[in-house]
Amino acid sequence: MKKLLLSGNEALAEGAVRAGCRCYFGYPITPQSEIPAYMAKRLRQVGGVFLQAESEIAAINMVYGAAATGMRAMTSSSGPGISLKQEGLSYLAGAQLPALVVNVMRGGPGLGNIAPSQSDYFQATKGGGHGDYHLIVLAPFSVQEMADFPHLAFDLADKYRNPVMILADAILGQMMEAVELKNNEKNRLIEKPWAVTGARGRPQNIIRSLFLKEGELEAHNKLLQKKYRIMKKNEVRYQLTGDPDPEVLLVAYGSMARVCMYIMPRLKKIGVRTSLIRPITLWPFPYDIIEDISKKVKFIFVLEMSEGQMLEDVKLASREKCPVYFYGRMGGGVPEPEEVLTKIEEVLKVESKRKNYKIRR
Amino acid sequence: MPSLKELSKKEELISRGHRLCPGCGAGIIVRQVLLATDVPVVAGCATGCLEVATTIYPYTAWKIPWIHSAFENVAATISGVETAYRALKKKGKIDKDIRFIAFGGDGGTYDIGIQSLSGAIERGHRMLYICYDNEAYMNTGIQRSSASPMGCHTTTTPPGKAIPQGKSENRKDLTQIIAAHHIPYVAQACPAFHMDLIRKVQKALSVDGPSFINILSPCPRGWRYPANKTIEIAKLAVLTGFWPLYEVENGKYRITYKPRKRRPLREFLEAQGRFKHLLREENKQFLERLEREVEEREREIFAKAGEQI
Repeated sequence: MKKLLLSGNEALAEGAVRAGCRCYFGYPITPQSEIPAYMAKRLRQVGGVFLQAESEIAAINMVYGAAATGMRAMTSSSGPGISLKQEGLSYLAGAQLPALVVNVMRGGPGLGNIAPSQSDYFQATKGGGHGDYHLIVLAPFSVQEMADFPHLAFDLADKYRNPVMILADAILGQMMEAVELKNNEKNRLIEKPWAVTGARGRPQNIIRSLFLKEGELEAHNKLLQKKYRIMKKNEVRYQLTGDPDPEVLLVAYGSMARVCMYIMPRLKKIGVRTSLIRPITLWPFPYDIIEDISKKVKFIFVLEMSEGQMLEDVKLASREKCPVYFYGRMGGGVPEPEEVLTKIEEVLKVESKRKNYKIRR
Repeated sequence: MPSLKELSKKEELISRGHRLCPGCGAGIIVRQVLLATDVPVVAGCATGCLEVATTIYPYTAWKIPWIHSAFENVAATISGVETAYRALKKKGKIDKDIRFIAFGGDGGTYDIGIQSLSGAIERGHRMLYICYDNEAYMNTGIQRSSASPMGCHTTTTPPGKAIPQGKSENRKDLTQIIAAHHIPYVAQACPAFHMDLIRKVQKALSVDGPSFINILSPCPRGWRYPANKTIEIAKLAVLTGFWPLYEVENGKYRITYKPRKRRPLREFLEAQGRFKHLLREENKQFLERLEREVEEREREIFAKAGEQI
């Protein structure tokens, strides 16, 4: 198939259109403004709606409205804008509406900067808004995945009637790579009998997150939790690469996984067998596979563009079966392969001094 | 009112070396506004070109106390500062007379910031809100705002086959919305008429209550014109009736500059790339629509001041 050279933001926008997204509601913020600009031109060609809202809060609530009618609707933003969307996300989750929200992460907290970062991990995976809810969170690591994930995201959103977030970062949004755009035109949109489409000839549908009657909200919450349990069981996705019998396990997602992939051959050269787990779903998180591997390796090394947010999940997963080391940079600092390599070598030195540690060569 | 000669000798409160683009209207406006002050001032900035380009860490171009918190809330932030000042003054901990100025672009004022602006002026804080209106989100790469005039090109309103005019909607008349709050002083100004602008800022700072000045801020990048034409284009905006200069003082409208002869709107549009498509023969109807809209709004303002175009 023909390959195109696209930036991550453009690829994501085109991917969403090909996944059947016909409603996009956006608001400018760097480093994702190419997505609304692309959608402004593109959606009209396919009979869709592009609408620039007056704020991020307006945009997420427009998504609420469009999703309620059964349309595939999305919005995108970055750090500060995603913070503003949290109320809307909580309502979407509470009302069980499928939608796609994209966060092209930038440095924080506050206005921060526009450089790449992975510091919105907690916000995305632990429920940034109020209430007991979860988003399904997908973490692409290439422009190709930026193009592919909207389709997966919309499918998951529709299947579970739950908002899905694609958690990218400024590197992924801005960099250009050759992309194969899959033709999903024949994409089967599932029936949405719950949607509000006009109640003539059928009982009315009600979409809401307000439950005031005694016990009603608790029952609703239990239903949501049941759904989350099914997601945890069925939707965990990750990529495992590297040595089949590793002594060191690297865990990283998004653009940081690329740094890991780059240094793995170098580690191999110095005789260290490593493998990498790249979580693709950050929620539900691949706890089981990390637990399994942590029994076999000498230590785990986590790399993030934050001060260790996913690290907490990795630690939970490892159940202290092995030490978990971490290296991260914040505020737009991007770890260079050399510095990560140096850090890993330092850890190797420390670990080799431990009594029971022998590097098998 | 100091003369231009006197003003030129005054110390500037914003230093050179900031990173605004050459020819940026916002920089010129801030200089003029700050030249108009003669008591200590505290400034707040909404997120935007001005905030980003004047305060790149660890530098700042501001020689006065300055605060920024987010995009949508400079009016709320400065009302907090003003409230603290009043409390401290009441307790006798401050005896100085201090004024408070908030700067916001059109995105941070017309769109996402209108809620906090409306709240602040309704509460009656003694503050001056300056909107530097460059008619789009320039900081993020020229996206439309509700201040973008109908018929202009932005990256989220690209003119094409289906929508040949670019932006389809008329711009929001924010100055009128603020005037409807019936605050002591509301005005519209333009950096090409600097003495008018400075006089308006002085008036606004002298009133005991909230005041608002909407200032047209030409943007070479977004409006597509050479950087040395900013003042020329700003002037054309006034001469063609696109940006009438007026003030509303305690409900009383006054036209502060009346062009001797109204120049055709075309002259203002021709000077900029963002209206290029509008001047094509096949888009005549949209050009006419814009001309009608501009004239109607101008007529409305003039009528309120008891004058005719």
